[in-house]
Amino acid sequence: MLSLWQMCLDRLEGEVSSQQYNTWLRPLKAVEDGPTLRLQAPNRFIHDWVNDRFLGRIQEIAHVLKDDDPVSITLEVANKEPAFQRKIEPEIALNKSFSSAQARPKNSPRPESNLNKSFIFQEFVEGKSNQLAKAAAQQVAENPGETYNPLFIYGGVGLGKTHLMQAVGNAMLANKPDAHIVYLHSERFVADMVKALQHNAIDNFKRYYRTVDALLIDDIQFFANKERSQEEFFHTFNTLLEGQKQIILTSDRYPKEVTGLEERLKSRLGWGLTVAIEPPELETRVAILMQKCSQLSIELDSNVAFFIAQRIRSNVRELEGALRRIVANANFTGERVITIDFAKKSLSDLLALQDKLVTIENIQKTVAEYFKIRISDLHASSRSRSVARPRQVAMALSKELTSHSLPEIGNAFGGRDHTTVLHACKRINNLRTEDSRVEEDYKNLLRILST
Amino acid sequence: MAHQLPLGITLRDNAAFENYFSGANGEAVFALKQCAEGRGEQFIYLWGTQGTGKSHLLQAVCKLEKNAVYLPLSEKESLVPDMLEGLESMAIVCIDDMEQIAGDPEWETAVFNLFNRVRDSGNRLIITDNVKPADLGIKLPDLVSRLNWGLTLHLQLLNDEGKLSALQLRAVKRGFELPDNVGKYLLSRNTRDLSSLFDLLDQLDEASLAAQRKLTIPFVKEVAGLRD
Repeated sequence: MLSLWQMCLDRLEGEVSSQQYNTWLRPLKAVEDGPTLRLQAPNRFIHDWVNDRFLGRIQEIAHVLKDDDPVSITLEVANKEPAFQRKIEPEIALNKSFSSAQARPKNSPRPESNLNKSFIFQEFVEGKSNQLAKAAAQQVAENPGETYNPLFIYGGVGLGKTHLMQAVGNAMLANKPDAHIVYLHSERFVADMVKALQHNAIDNFKRYYRTVDALLIDDIQFFANKERSQEEFFHTFNTLLEGQKQIILTSDRYPKEVTGLEERLKSRLGWGLTVAIEPPELETRVAILMQKCSQLSIELDSNVAFFIAQRIRSNVRELEGALRRIVANANFTGERVITIDFAKKSLSDLLALQDKLVTIENIQKTVAEYFKIRISDLHASSRSRSVARPRQVAMALSKELTSHSLPEIGNAFGGRDHTTVLHACKRINNLRTEDSRVEEDYKNLLRILST
Repeated sequence: MAHQLPLGITLRDNAAFENYFSGANGEAVFALKQCAEGRGEQFIYLWGTQGTGKSHLLQAVCKLEKNAVYLPLSEKESLVPDMLEGLESMAIVCIDDMEQIAGDPEWETAVFNLFNRVRDSGNRLIITDNVKPADLGIKLPDLVSRLNWGLTLHLQLLNDEGKLSALQLRAVKRGFELPDNVGKYLLSRNTRDLSSLFDLLDQLDEASLAAQRKLTIPFVKEVAGLRD
């Protein structure tokens, strides 16, 4: 029956645009259920769209393909069981063949805890900016529920809050493999609670979160103005604290400054220990780069690491992104040794302050400034050498740097004919090889316009 | 600047890696292929101006990895942020035209949440845009830093020679030949934006089939109503 769905898909692929196909039909999963083929959409919106526009056609095609043995095709929203609904005993998954088709990559989280195994203390690069937070986290990992509860880690984006928080979870698991540790983003908590309310399963939800050994919630500023979630979290918080279960929270700012949170919740957030992570200083940034490279088995000269770290200052994510860029470039070009020049070249897009949008107006303005003439001279009909040459240069640059057609360029220069533009381009091309001053002017202008 | 034509029309040619002329963009194509084969980076941010073939490449990715989904945010008027729910179960999620939702808090949060869920599920996410992440105008700093985290790839516009080759490759894939002189003529008389040129090429193909005539400059002039 699943091959029937494949045949339907093949047929549909020829009938709708590839965009339509990729947006609405690809995300459908087929599940065989007796004589019924159940199609599952990942969410309500895709479900409704497919239902309105494609389901009829799908049923028609299936009918034609299997007129000897009619199949009924139904459409539903895939109901991904939230964590609190999952039963401990293994369930017989209906769509096993589909879920097993997606092999998990190495660093994927344990399904039960959602922890990413690569976020461990050993991989966390310590520096002045984060050593206090790291020390506190290690304390918590050794004595969960006792020393600092809750542990509240705050700091800007991309500085390693999630890493540190999960490192505690992973260390706790290493000490006690059967510990029930749950990591989640605050959004998941909110979304799961909404689901629980919809499905009348709020008791399961409460029980699930109130019986964990450690609860790790990331980015709690996203609880802002979600009163119902805050209230539920408040009670979960109290229960866990009473039972001496560890709570770790992160946020982009100090607890008292998180807006949209109830006062009673805010004050409790500060009960344990609140530690900040600051942006890494230069030496730490260099150390982070060197460590990433050793993970990837890439040799990086410290001069090059300093070069990158001096230019990418804001956060660790950007630093890692820059390194990715360089490594991908080296892999592609087969470059073995990463030099400063190579790094500079790879990062030229990211390092450029602002990519100027090159327009004909911009070219005219720049050319006029360069040759010290007025922009209106470029539009005027005068053929005197002092303005005609710059005009030709501007036309040639417009041809080279924009996507405008020759007639469009001619129009932008006082309504000239496209043959005039063509002539100008040829003339400048010839002059560039004959006259080194023209070549120099042209190159200077290119550089001004494209950097 | 020419308007981008409805994707349903411009992409009907069944965009694939084979019919993308990479020119100076070999590295981006290489990285995207790897991604479509389930290797390489988990997050890719692909940027370049209109006409660099971002949508084409995303379709090509979906063609290679069947368990993928494509979201054109240029059509956000008829879409809602909730449609990102549950997509983390796909092996690859492709989000096209991210600039369309920059500054829209609901969409930004939805993409941010999707990003986190994809990270946790170990699957892959490709986002395209016409500028680099820092210039995108995203308000949510959490999302900006995540966009910077992935592999950033810049697609360059082809030069005229490259555009001619791209047109000829496109023609061959459609089963006809585009002579050099006709190709150069098209490039010199039209907006040299590739998606418009491809569209014109499709029109010319249909017209030459209908009229049973070869693609010559006089014929092109006639069909496209171009002046000398």
